[in-house]
Amino acid sequence: MNSFAAPARSGLLTRLLPAALGIGSIAVLIGLVEALIRLGLINRFIVPMPSEIFLAFPRIVVEENVLSRFTLTISEAFSASILVAAFGIAGGVLLHRFTLLRQATETWVAAIAAAPLVLIYPLYLVIFGRSATTIVMMGFTAGVAPTVLKTLEGLSGTRRVLINVGRSFNLTPSQQFWKILFPAALPTIFVGLRLGLIFALINIVGVEFLINFGGLGQLINELSERYDLAGTYAAICFVVLVSICVFVLMERLERWLRPGD
Amino acid sequence: MSRPSKGAAANAPEAAPGKPILVVHDIVKRFETPDGILTAVDHVSFTVAPGEFVSLIGPSGCGKSTLFNVIGGLIDGYEGAVTVAGERLSGPHAAIGMIFQEESTFPWRTVIDNVAFPLELAGLPKAERYERARHFVALVGLAGFERRYPAELSGGMRQRVSMARTLAASPKIMLMDEPFAALDEQTRLLLGDKVLQIQQELKQTMLLITHNITEAVQLSDRVLVMTYRPGKLKREVEIDLPRPRTSEIVSSEAFGRYVAQIWGDLREEASRGLRDDEQYKLERKDHP
Amino acid sequence: MAEAGRLTATAGRPRRGLLHPVTALRVGIIVAVLATWQLLSASGLLYRDVVPSLAAIALALYVTLSDPSFYFHLATTGYEIGIALAIGGVSGLAVGIALGASKLMAKAYEAYLYYLGPTPKIIFFPVMIMWFGVGAGSKVAMGAISCFFPIALNVAAGMREIDPVLIRVGASFRANTWQMVTKIYLPAMRYPVINGLRIGLGVALIGTLLAETKLSNRGIGFLVIQAYSLFNMPQMYSLLIVLFVISIGANALIGRLGGLHDIKRS
Repeated sequence: MNSFAAPARSGLLTRLLPAALGIGSIAVLIGLVEALIRLGLINRFIVPMPSEIFLAFPRIVVEENVLSRFTLTISEAFSASILVAAFGIAGGVLLHRFTLLRQATETWVAAIAAAPLVLIYPLYLVIFGRSATTIVMMGFTAGVAPTVLKTLEGLSGTRRVLINVGRSFNLTPSQQFWKILFPAALPTIFVGLRLGLIFALINIVGVEFLINFGGLGQLINELSERYDLAGTYAAICFVVLVSICVFVLMERLERWLRPGD
Repeated sequence: MSRPSKGAAANAPEAAPGKPILVVHDIVKRFETPDGILTAVDHVSFTVAPGEFVSLIGPSGCGKSTLFNVIGGLIDGYEGAVTVAGERLSGPHAAIGMIFQEESTFPWRTVIDNVAFPLELAGLPKAERYERARHFVALVGLAGFERRYPAELSGGMRQRVSMARTLAASPKIMLMDEPFAALDEQTRLLLGDKVLQIQQELKQTMLLITHNITEAVQLSDRVLVMTYRPGKLKREVEIDLPRPRTSEIVSSEAFGRYVAQIWGDLREEASRGLRDDEQYKLERKDHP
Repeated sequence: MAEAGRLTATAGRPRRGLLHPVTALRVGIIVAVLATWQLLSASGLLYRDVVPSLAAIALALYVTLSDPSFYFHLATTGYEIGIALAIGGVSGLAVGIALGASKLMAKAYEAYLYYLGPTPKIIFFPVMIMWFGVGAGSKVAMGAISCFFPIALNVAAGMREIDPVLIRVGASFRANTWQMVTKIYLPAMRYPVINGLRIGLGVALIGTLLAETKLSNRGIGFLVIQAYSLFNMPQMYSLLIVLFVISIGANALIGRLGGLHDIKRS
């Protein structure tokens, strides 16, 4: 390992500086916006004061039942991700196993992954009605294709030498899959799951907003229709928080399942 | 082309003294390429006695890696036969342990889990698995690193893990394809010491494919020199250096003489290979 | 192992005839899907009209494509997305380069992009309407903020993957910042940039179309939601078909421009 490193200048400082810079500059920006609004340079009816938004937080938590809405959105995301993981990984494994099927359909799956599937939501509305099922199905539909592709990529990208190690030990096809191919593909599979989850979540909250049903997406829609600007902004912050939580959780999960990295 | 050489252990595990444990008989392997049929290996025969350390050396393009894959049972479609401990080969044989040139540790398993892999396949209970694996981890000099992941180790250490993993399967023959190619010279010499130590202790039969003359002479009882494609055996050199050996041997006069002799044979083949390669690349450029 | 390359060379990609198993399988799958659709439609198992007959869809497709006003809406959406990509693309590129070039900047700000990226941008739509009005402005804004994040993140990652030796070459020739960007950074990371653009196009498309479905009186998104509200299912399907064909085509086109031979990579 290369040990020729420049002497670290007080490790604590170098670690804290970037974070401080990031948070600091955002705080300054918020302060600037607040000042500009108070001075009347920015229309307060278009951009509410950051202080008002801050105050809106407890209000919407209490009045708008944010917690139960949060739970609803999260549970929709959870259901969708289970479906995405199950069908996505299974699909990728299937395509890997049956070469002819893969050759025939891989470009189709890639095309599906690239298409704006979200526009199917009116169709799901007709089939499933204005319900959580529509939302979950939308999330699933959007997230499954990238997961299939990444699973396939991971499995077929296994380094040749690892497969040869398996062959040199005379592994059965089943052993070869579970002991070598699948573990080797896990990092890429996780990338696929994260991608699938991103698409799923975008579609879930998006459709909640659009059909005015569900959890946080609906909340934003309602608040904006009531012209509760501060509340709208606060709710948006909340959704960003949800997104962060989901993905930090995913990372923790990944680190727990793959301690080798 | 077989003679039990002086340096090899006479009392090797099973196999009667003098009876070879590996017989490579008249192997011919051809490949189809867009430029026509290429003969990689052209009627190669040799044997390896139990406990012997044999190196196969040749320039790039001499078919030695093909031979590695043939003996390891990873490719077929060749003429001739490979016999291991009396059994004819038809796929990877349990008596042959392979060590590959590239990184081959399982990155998702710890060192101990990597080494225990063949024992896991054999169905050994967990406690016994780990105990045996620990022995081999110590044998390659990695005691204390059992719980580490390959990513935390250096290249040389990872190759040692691969070695321990193959050894754990207790193969009769260790088949190695330039396992130290990716390492620097000094690490190679030191790992060479390790290999000699292991061979000493286990009386392990080893067949090493390499392009490194120093390595071949340092480790072997016999060196088989191959020609450039189509690969044939050009010469067999018995290395009559004392055992047990260490890397200090590289500074001895006898060592230098062996290296000079082998290089004399190789040089011609290697320069043929170089010319051929350049010519090919030149032609490739003209016909895109 | 130069020999390996020669030994395993393949003769170029074969032209696939009709009887080639892959083509046969593809045709088979398409036929099976269409047949199932038609059966489902005729059987009336699902609600009336959710699965219109293939003939009805084909007719609607014809009607849509021969209606001049359709192209007006198509142009509107195209125009919105084009500008969104331009704005999001340029700003994403600039920010990505800044983040990739400086470790400090990256450590300070990249995490925000990383976690904001997966947030559904449609929730910002009410804010966009406030700031840019109910017309094309808010749609363009939606598209722009949608594609900004993946482009910036991809470019930042691409910057870090540039072989450091190339940067040292530029420095040794005393190239200024603009020269470094145009002559070294951009050519060196054309694949990550093109890939980011592809993903950006995808999400800009989603952002803009959703904005149109929510609040608009023009554009493809508007047409889709109009068809839905009139319960004209065949019309809706025909619009979706056209939309998907165009987006897949655009995706493949960008991919090919970037020298990638398939649209698999994402």
